[in-house]
Amino acid sequence: MSAVPLTPAPRPRRAAPSRPPLEAVATRTQRRARPRAAYAIATVAGVFAILLTQLLLSIVLSEGAYRITALEAQRIELDRTAQVLTERLNVFDSAQNVAANAESLGMVVSTVSPAFLLLSDGTVQGSPMPAGAGTGVLDGRGDLVGNVLLADVPLVIPAAAGGASAVPSGVPPTPLSSGSLPSGSSTALPSGALPSPVTR
Amino acid sequence: MVTVERRTRRRLAAWMLIFAIVLSAFVVRLVDIQVVRAEQLAQESEARRSIPTTIYGARGDIVDARGVVLADSVFRYDITVSPRFVADFRRTDPDTGDRVTVTVAEAMASVAAIVEGDPIAMLTDIQAQLAENPQDDHAYLARGVTPEGFEQVRELGIPWVYWERIPARTYPNGQIAGNLVGFLGTDGPQTGLEYRLNDCLQATDGQATYERGADGVKLPGTTVVAQDAVDGGTLHLTIDADVQWFAQQAIAERATEIGAEWATAVVVRVSDGYLIAAADWPTVDPNNVNGTAPENLGSRVFTWPYEPGSTMKSATFAALFDSGAATLTDEIIAPRRYSTIAGFQIGDAVDTGDTRYTAAGVLMNSSNTGTAVLSERLSLQQRYDYLQAFGFGEPTDVGFLGEEPGSVPDPSSVDGHTAVTQMFGQGMSATSAQVASLYQTLANGGVRAPLTLVTGCERADGTVTNLPPSEPKRIVGESAARDVISTMELVVTQGYLTSQLTIPGYRVAAKTGTAEVYENGAYGRERIVTVAGTAPADNPQFVVVVTYGKPDTMRVSAAAAPTFRSIMTQVLKTFRVPPSTAPAPSIPLTW
Repeated sequence: MSAVPLTPAPRPRRAAPSRPPLEAVATRTQRRARPRAAYAIATVAGVFAILLTQLLLSIVLSEGAYRITALEAQRIELDRTAQVLTERLNVFDSAQNVAANAESLGMVVSTVSPAFLLLSDGTVQGSPMPAGAGTGVLDGRGDLVGNVLLADVPLVIPAAAGGASAVPSGVPPTPLSSGSLPSGSSTALPSGALPSPVTR
Repeated sequence: MVTVERRTRRRLAAWMLIFAIVLSAFVVRLVDIQVVRAEQLAQESEARRSIPTTIYGARGDIVDARGVVLADSVFRYDITVSPRFVADFRRTDPDTGDRVTVTVAEAMASVAAIVEGDPIAMLTDIQAQLAENPQDDHAYLARGVTPEGFEQVRELGIPWVYWERIPARTYPNGQIAGNLVGFLGTDGPQTGLEYRLNDCLQATDGQATYERGADGVKLPGTTVVAQDAVDGGTLHLTIDADVQWFAQQAIAERATEIGAEWATAVVVRVSDGYLIAAADWPTVDPNNVNGTAPENLGSRVFTWPYEPGSTMKSATFAALFDSGAATLTDEIIAPRRYSTIAGFQIGDAVDTGDTRYTAAGVLMNSSNTGTAVLSERLSLQQRYDYLQAFGFGEPTDVGFLGEEPGSVPDPSSVDGHTAVTQMFGQGMSATSAQVASLYQTLANGGVRAPLTLVTGCERADGTVTNLPPSEPKRIVGESAARDVISTMELVVTQGYLTSQLTIPGYRVAAKTGTAEVYENGAYGRERIVTVAGTAPADNPQFVVVVTYGKPDTMRVSAAAAPTFRSIMTQVLKTFRVPPSTAPAPSIPLTW
C-alpha cells in the first residue's frame, strides 16, 4: 500500500461546489511516479519504426524474390539455348558430317599407305603414296552410315563455287601457321625443335 | 445501501466472467483446430496452396573413348491444351497494334505449322475429348517438340495452350555405334547398352513443391525442394567413334557391292582387349528406329554365332604348337581327300592332290586335309579344352545384351566327322567378337585380355563403377602364339591375296576363312567369308576381323580382304602406329 492515505471517503456526491474544490497536492514521489509523455512518444515511435522497417524489409525481400524468379527464368532460357547449340554442335561434329564436308572441300583420305612425317627429326616413316582418285572414304560414293539428324544440314561449299567461305572474299587464303597440327598439342616447344605429334 | 467497493467488485467479477467465457471459447476453438482437426486442415491448406512437381534428372550420356557423345540427354516439350477453354481469343497484333480476334482454327493452324502436325486432326481430337468429358483439362497437341519449336509456339501467346518439359534422348552420331548404344522407346530403354546398363544411365527424379495463389500464379520464392534429382552416370566406352564410322562405312559399301546379307567388322586393341570398333551392317539409327528392320536393331558382332571356317585354324595350330604336338617345320602329307567316318570325306577348296606341306604350309595354304592330319595328334578332350580356353562356347567378357555363347561340340558325344571339322571351324560356331578375342590372344603372345566395351560408369557423385575386368589369362605359350602370327604373315606376303592385303611399310598377319553355311539340313552354296588379322606383325597393336554373311557375287575370302586392309590402314593411321622395321622371317612351307 502506498504510504500516502487515499482521498478521504465518503465524498459528497454531486454536491455543487460552493467553493473552489480542494485538491490534494501530489507529493514528490507521486509526481515522479506519474507516466511521462516522452516515454509514451518514444515507445509509439519505436513501434512505428519497427513496423516501417519490417514493411520496407519485406518490400525489399519480395523485390529480391521477384528478381530471383526473373533471373531463374532467364537462366532456364539460357540453359535451353545452350542445349540447342550443344545439340547442333554435336550433330555438326559427327563423323559423317565432317567426312562429307572434308571431301566436298576436296580433301581425300589415303586408305592405301599410311606414312608419317616425324617433325622431331624430319624423317619420313612408312612408304608415302599419293591418294589417287577413288581412294577417299566417301569420294562421291555417298555416306552409308545414316544419320537422320543430318538431313537438313547442308554441306559447306568451297569459295571457288561461289558459296559461303570462312575466308572473306578479296583476301587470299593464307595457309595456317606452321605447327598447327591436327593433334593440336599447344604445349611449349623447345626452341629449334619442330612440334612432334604424340604417338599413341 | 450498496457501497462503492462492492459495486466495483461486482463489475470486476462480471468482466472476469465474460473474459473467461470468451477465452474458453477461443481455447476450445484452438484445440479443435490445432489438435482435433489439425491433420485434415493442414492437408487441405497444403493442397490448396502447394503444387508438387517432379524435377527431372538428366539421363547419363554415353561417350566414346575420346569423349564424343554417342547418346545425349536433351529436353523436349509436349505441347498440351486445356480443351474446355479452347475458344477464339483476342490479342494485340504486334505489327499494327490493333486488337484482333484469333479463331480456334487459325490458332491450331499456326501451332500445326510449327510442330508439323495436322490442324484438323488436332481439332477433332480435342472435340472428341470434350464430347466425352466437357470438363476435360488436358490433351496433347504435339509431343517431343524441339526447344526451337516450343519457343515459337510460346510466342503465339495462345491462352489455352500449355507445355510440359520432358527429358528425351538424341544420338548426334546417328548410326555410328547405334548397334552398341541401343535406343530408348516411349517406355524407357529398349536395347543395347541403354538397356543393359540402365542402372548406370538412369537418373533419379526429384520432388519439389511450390505455392500458388488463388489466381493460379506461382508465388515467387516458395519452391521447396523435397528431394534433389540425381543425374545418371556417364557411360564411357572403349569405342573410337571415328574408327567405328570408318568401319561401318567400309563394310556397308562392300556388303552392298557383293550382295551380302549382313556384315560385321571388329577392331580390338591387342594390349588390353579394348574394342575400338564393333561395326554391324545393316544397323540402326537410334534417332529413327522405325527405319530399320527389327532383326538389325541389335549387334550381330555379339549375338550372331556362325560357323567361322578357316579362321579357326589359327586356334588349332596354336593348340598344336602349345601342346608340343607339332612344330612349324613338321613335315606331313596333306592328302587329296581325308576320310573321317563312313561316307564322309574332307577336301580342300583348291585341289592340289597329295601335297607335301610343313605344318606352317598347312596353315598358310589353309589346307583342310592337312589340318585334319595334324589334328589327329590332339585328343578329343584336348581339342575341346583349347577351344574353350580361347573363349569359344561361352559369351565374351563384354556381356552384351543377348550375347550368344556359340557352340563347341561336347567331346563325349561328338561324331567322328565333326571332331575333325571343328578344327577348321565347321560344326562349331562362334561370334565375330569371339573370333576377334582369339586373334587378340594370339597377337598378345598367347595372353587373353578380357574383351572390353565399357571402361566405366562415372556417377554424378564422382565415383566410377562398372569397371572392366582386368585379369589377363595365359591361354597358350608365347612361342606358340608367335609361330601362328609368323605363319599368318606368309598369307599376306605369299598367298593369293597378297595384292589386296599388303599395307606398304607394315608387316601384316592375316588369316582368311570361307565357311560353308549349314541351312535346311545341309551345307549349300552360301558362304560366310572372313579375314582376321593383326598389324604390325613384329609388334602387334591391333586386331581387325571383317566378316560378310552370305554374299551373292563373291563367295570367297577375297571379298573381305580389301575391307580388312582399309580398316587396318585407318586404324594404324589413327593411332599413329610406327611402321615395321625388321623384315618378316622366312619359314619353309613345303618339303
